[in-house]
Amino acid sequence: MDFGLTETQELIRASAREFLADRSDPATVRAVANGDTAAITELWKEVVDLGWPALAISEEHGGAGLTFSDLAVLLEELGSSIAPTPVVESAITSWVLERFGSESIKSDLLPQVATGDILITPAIVESDASWNASSARVAATRSGSSLVITGEKRFVAFAEQATHALTLVRTDNDEPALVVIPIWKADGVEQTPLDHVSGVPVSSITFNEVEIPESSIVATGEQAIKATEELVAAGGVARAAQLAGLGKAVLDATVEYTANREQFGQPVGSFQAVQHHLAEMAIAAKQVNHLVHSAAWSFSQDGYSVERAAQAKIAASDKIANLCWTAHQCHGAIGFTWEHDLHLYTRRALAWKTDYGDAAFHKSKLANTMGL
Amino acid sequence: MRFEFTPEESAFKSQLSSFLDDALPADWHGPADESRDDHWALNEQIKKGLADRGWLVMSWPEEYGGADSSPMMNTIFAEEMAYRRAPGHDRFGTRMFGPTLMRFGTEEQRTKYLGSIARGEIQWCQGYSEPNSGSDLASLQTRAIEDGDDFIVTGAKIWTSLAHRADMMFMLVRTDPDAPPHKGISLIVVDMKSPGVEVLPIINMAGLHSFNQVVFDEVRVPKANLVGELNDGWRAGMTVLNFERSGIDYAAWARIALEELIEYVTNDDSLVTTAKSDPSVRIKLAELHTEVEAARLMCFDVAYRQGQGEVPSSEASMSKVSASEVYLAVLDYGLELLGMYGALEMGSNQAELQGRFMKMRLYYTSGPILAGTNEIQKNIIAQRGLGLPRK
Repeated sequence: MDFGLTETQELIRASAREFLADRSDPATVRAVANGDTAAITELWKEVVDLGWPALAISEEHGGAGLTFSDLAVLLEELGSSIAPTPVVESAITSWVLERFGSESIKSDLLPQVATGDILITPAIVESDASWNASSARVAATRSGSSLVITGEKRFVAFAEQATHALTLVRTDNDEPALVVIPIWKADGVEQTPLDHVSGVPVSSITFNEVEIPESSIVATGEQAIKATEELVAAGGVARAAQLAGLGKAVLDATVEYTANREQFGQPVGSFQAVQHHLAEMAIAAKQVNHLVHSAAWSFSQDGYSVERAAQAKIAASDKIANLCWTAHQCHGAIGFTWEHDLHLYTRRALAWKTDYGDAAFHKSKLANTMGL
Repeated sequence: MRFEFTPEESAFKSQLSSFLDDALPADWHGPADESRDDHWALNEQIKKGLADRGWLVMSWPEEYGGADSSPMMNTIFAEEMAYRRAPGHDRFGTRMFGPTLMRFGTEEQRTKYLGSIARGEIQWCQGYSEPNSGSDLASLQTRAIEDGDDFIVTGAKIWTSLAHRADMMFMLVRTDPDAPPHKGISLIVVDMKSPGVEVLPIINMAGLHSFNQVVFDEVRVPKANLVGELNDGWRAGMTVLNFERSGIDYAAWARIALEELIEYVTNDDSLVTTAKSDPSVRIKLAELHTEVEAARLMCFDVAYRQGQGEVPSSEASMSKVSASEVYLAVLDYGLELLGMYGALEMGSNQAELQGRFMKMRLYYTSGPILAGTNEIQKNIIAQRGLGLPRK
């Protein structure tokens, strides 16, 4: 086993860290949380210039052809800076298109994703809040060589910024299908903004008889289930990578705070009760980090490990939100204020723990692989 | 990043595994009880078998009969041995005292002891803890007074594993009572058959005789048995603890115990059937599966870092805390699943899973305590790993 980063990964980490320290500072994060969409657009432009949406797209389709492990290293940095930018949404949808899309879809869409001309976000969940691949009810009715889409998708991240939604629907044959639907100022597409704890735009999208060509179909039937399962697994690992980075950032901030905050004439971080909280946070952060790397590495192999993907998201969801609560305890009253930045991280962690399947969802997936 | 073993590592793992297939009794589930003569004979037999194949001291440099194997390979060895609950892995000689001797011992001492450890002939035990010196080890009081060519050793060691089976002990003694605690300690080796050495069994809460109190009443020890410089024993002694502080055994024990539970829950012949129909069981077992894998990766990360030439002290502590805790979590959940059967002692009539889970749960209460309590480990993580101030 090799727990080290490659030279490329070290480079990604260093450059991302430098860029994000400057461009995803708390003021920007707060501005976005307060509804400043211009800040998102501005940051996204720079992210596109850095080539991040293109990172894991194949060279053949205009990307950099890097691995999922490389992507995970970038996502850890995006997590530790809680950057309000849709890299995960873009990377995961292009990951699925690359593996399941027809050649024409790939050569049409992926180069545009790489250059930032389009942004595709996943639209999987409906009113029952399920990430289950077979639970979609949004209808795709055939009409000549077109499909007519009707119904509502919920919890679509960055839907306001996205040009397209990779949408899980149900066909006339009562089969699931994954389709790409243009949503940017499109006729019959209505967005309902949600006030989401993540602090980034999340909406529900209603499709009112939206007509799309059948060439928009990425996969149907068994293939659609497989594609959606991979989307949820990869998305889960991506969120877990962000949570790993977030956890490490919160740990570092809490170490710094407790090493400097004095009570009874000494740093509170010299008390064992506090030290043990921090040691447990450090263990949790490291465990999640290892499980994420192991899972991300499996996506760089032929196929991916369902087991490892589930483990990464289970641990990240369960442990990092708890790590944040412990950080609040260690910060005392100051960490309970709106003014202090800690809650920005906690809010993001609480949102990310439910995204792409929460711990319970992935425990059930994992149990299936264990013969249970 | 590469989260799989190399072909060479996988090949070694499967060779070791087939060796254990032959060496262990067909119905072996462990754990070994070293006070039982048949189990001790198995221990000796496997130790010899490992020595014959060059595996017992494969971690050692070639000049001392080892294979200079990587820390990763050594961790794979330890994991496989623990996963099979196999006895015969002489940690005290091969992983603690041997490496210490290579670094601090004289040429004469190395010649005298290393060969017999490598051949699996001599059993060592470790004399560190004392009745009044546990976590605060540097406060130890067993005295060694110089007298001509000898030391005269008086005092007591406690929680000494395998003292009742050992030929030799490496021990920390106080040689300068006036120096600050860490500065007046020396490391010496003592023949357990020396006059004045008395081994008093201590039965642990699982009902097993695994450790002892060892009393020293004016025991004469040749000065030639001093390892390292006089009064510099703390440094040499701590080298040992770096080898001791890994969680891989617990991680492997947790994994096999979890697999036994999964097998039990899914087996049609199992008597406790409520577990099969309860969806919360699936969820809990999946959660434990994740925790076990997390702990395992923590241990292999330590091996990886050692292979890079680092001394991952804080990471080793993290691995020990993670793995010893998850092992108990698995055992606790096993007892819960077994319900009324969980309360049956090992070997009882009508026991399920031979009553192993209760025996192991009682026995491994020691996990978070021995080799530095988990609280001490958390201090190490906070102070050495995170750089927080010592009080």
